[in-house]
Amino acid sequence: MTPAPKTVRICHLYPRLLSVAGDRGNLLALTQRCTWRGIRYRVTEADVGEVPDFTQTDLILLHGGQDREMTAASRDLAAKAGPLRDAIESDAVVLAVCAGYQLLGRYYAPPEGEPIPGLGVLDVATEGGPARFIGHVAAACDLGSGEQHQLTGFENHSGRTYLGRGARPLGRVLAGAGNNGEDGTEGARYREVYATYLHGPVLPKNPWLADHLLSRALAHRYPDVDPLAPLTDQAEARASAAAFRLARRPGGPAGRWRAAAAALSRFRRPAEIPSGAHLAETSANGGADALSADKETRWTSH
Amino acid sequence: MRTIAGNEDPAASRDSAPAGAYKTLITPSAQARLTLALAGGKAAGTAARMLGVGGGTSFPGIVARRIDPRVLQKAAAASDARKVIVTGSNGKTTTCRMLAALARAGGLRVTQNRSGSNLLQGVTSAAVAESDLLGRMDAQMLLLEVDEATVRLVAPELRPDTFLITNIFRDQLDRFGELYSMARKLEAVIDGLPASATAVLNGDDPLVASLAPGASARRLYYGIQAGGAGGQVPEHAADTIRCVRCQHMLSYRAVHLSHLGDYRCPACGAARPPLDVAVTEIRAFDTGSEITVETPEGSYTLQVPLPGMHNVYNAAAALAGQIALSLPRPLGPEQARRALAGVRPAFGRLEEIRAGERQVVLAFVKNPTSYNTTLREVLRRPGRKHVLAAHSNTVVDGEDFAWLWDTEIEQLVPQLASLTVSGTRAEEVWLRFKYAGADPALTEVLPGRLAALDAALTGTPSGECLYIFAGYTPMRELRGIMQRRGWVRPSWEE
Repeated sequence: MTPAPKTVRICHLYPRLLSVAGDRGNLLALTQRCTWRGIRYRVTEADVGEVPDFTQTDLILLHGGQDREMTAASRDLAAKAGPLRDAIESDAVVLAVCAGYQLLGRYYAPPEGEPIPGLGVLDVATEGGPARFIGHVAAACDLGSGEQHQLTGFENHSGRTYLGRGARPLGRVLAGAGNNGEDGTEGARYREVYATYLHGPVLPKNPWLADHLLSRALAHRYPDVDPLAPLTDQAEARASAAAFRLARRPGGPAGRWRAAAAALSRFRRPAEIPSGAHLAETSANGGADALSADKETRWTSH
Repeated sequence: MRTIAGNEDPAASRDSAPAGAYKTLITPSAQARLTLALAGGKAAGTAARMLGVGGGTSFPGIVARRIDPRVLQKAAAASDARKVIVTGSNGKTTTCRMLAALARAGGLRVTQNRSGSNLLQGVTSAAVAESDLLGRMDAQMLLLEVDEATVRLVAPELRPDTFLITNIFRDQLDRFGELYSMARKLEAVIDGLPASATAVLNGDDPLVASLAPGASARRLYYGIQAGGAGGQVPEHAADTIRCVRCQHMLSYRAVHLSHLGDYRCPACGAARPPLDVAVTEIRAFDTGSEITVETPEGSYTLQVPLPGMHNVYNAAAALAGQIALSLPRPLGPEQARRALAGVRPAFGRLEEIRAGERQVVLAFVKNPTSYNTTLREVLRRPGRKHVLAAHSNTVVDGEDFAWLWDTEIEQLVPQLASLTVSGTRAEEVWLRFKYAGADPALTEVLPGRLAALDAALTGTPSGECLYIFAGYTPMRELRGIMQRRGWVRPSWEE
């Protein structure tokens, strides 16, 4: 008896608002890799003002945007916060990229203007920096299986993200800046949330990550899932190897950042980030209300 | 006095010194340094050409600026020529070609820079080549296409009389940072223009139209007013579809190209400004279009000899620019019509090339909008498509090719007959086509441009057409190979 075909339920959050650097390629990678294996998928788009049924969602995509779009998304995310947080706590899979990553953290404080509050599911905080980190990135990742994976992509962000005790990095930077250019971490993980600064987009070039998300998403819905059928990932492997070479080339943008970051870290300790309990204190004289420690109240009061 | 974004010496300002009076302000030692810089730059250009290392497009500027960092500023200030800067994401080169044709018909001697030399050094090179050793220019109009990230450096040195912005699309975010920070820099340039200058702005681009509302310069808005045209905003390539003022989704009465159109914000009421130069009728053909344009100087009916809505915008921009210039001999409708009809496409803009038994169409693509616009023109043609797609990471082309994923390559794949990918980012292009549905096993991956061109031509049966989609650098390289084979003439962009 052949088992009934399985369906991954994907929710693409803010496909028009947060879509700046080819990130829709991530959705394409997921859907194509389902198609090639005979796995079914259903994609729901949720824009501003639309609250999807997160209980019927296995995989959530939240991509990058510019500061303005991020502010608009942050405002709207308030209405989605409760169900989205519940979904994350029940191990729905999330891929968050760049601004999407920052939005899942506690806050993003841009160089000018009010801090933008985040969902706070990731124990990270982001401060605007004086210069943008722009360049190829390579990182080493271990998602718990003990197997080392290579993550390649491109970063373009001025925010410096610092991990708190409650978040693990997604990977260790081999080349490029990563979270903040100082501590050698890239991205963050919490339960089945995978957050990264890498666009490019990240999934086509890193099929192991795409497949990890898919298999965790299937496991979220079905009690018994077989391992994913292997695919011929020759083009993926060559594109990733080429990106890796670009990230490691001496004197390239990544090389310069590496040198600058190394020089900086000699003078500066990584900034302390406030843990949840201290958040209200830090923001008491800034955008105080927006950064209230009582997150539930704040999100639902809008 | 207002200063343009920059840190240059205000002594050379037009506000304090009328045009032409600069020579009396310059000290002998400053003049000597300028002469030395111009001589050095000219010698560098000659040497580069003799040694055959490129056309010497940025080298003279580099040398001249090393000798006298103010060479461009001094040469520009000493000249009575009208100074025009054209910037924006797309359409700079074609708009410049059209504006030059109109200005020449109106009796001006025009000097231009080359499209690939639109950074500070390339612009300086153009000024060095045009000036004599005392810094005098013969041209009556200096028409400069300037890269949108560089314009904040060029404008304070050049002090343009006319500043034209075609549009702001997502273009190489790795170089330009975010759209809005780039918009702020363009805004600073407009804010720095004197009241005697004119900002020519695309009124159909919500971001461009909103720039520098308090600037003292005269503003001329151009756009398309034609009824019946337009459709929905395409989702993936639309850059500014939110209200610049209040972030609400804009509603469009008509969309002509990506986010360009007749927009209005339902929340705050911000809307497209009244157009000074409005295209009121468009009759499109395969090879171009006929348009009717209403302007403050009367109505024009023009033949746009290049296909596509983007070229309608370029023609409207050029016509608006021509009005800003106040030409010595104002153009009658018939003169304008003749001048514009004679404009040929810039090289690599859907350029038709006879390659022996085969036809080649060379298309320069650099961002989702230019890629999708080109795809639309190519897909209108009958038959299956043999394709060579090439991208390289260079200073001009950028490092980040994420934007390839925002293109509609999916629409090309069902018509693909053969595919070759090339350039230093060939693998990235390969991956993009794979996820668009092209069979990776049937794709030739040849980073070398020569090998790729030969393989692609071999894969194209005689009598059929090879379509080349390439970034700036591989496009120039592939064209160079075809030029050495005698299939195309050297680029005639000077």
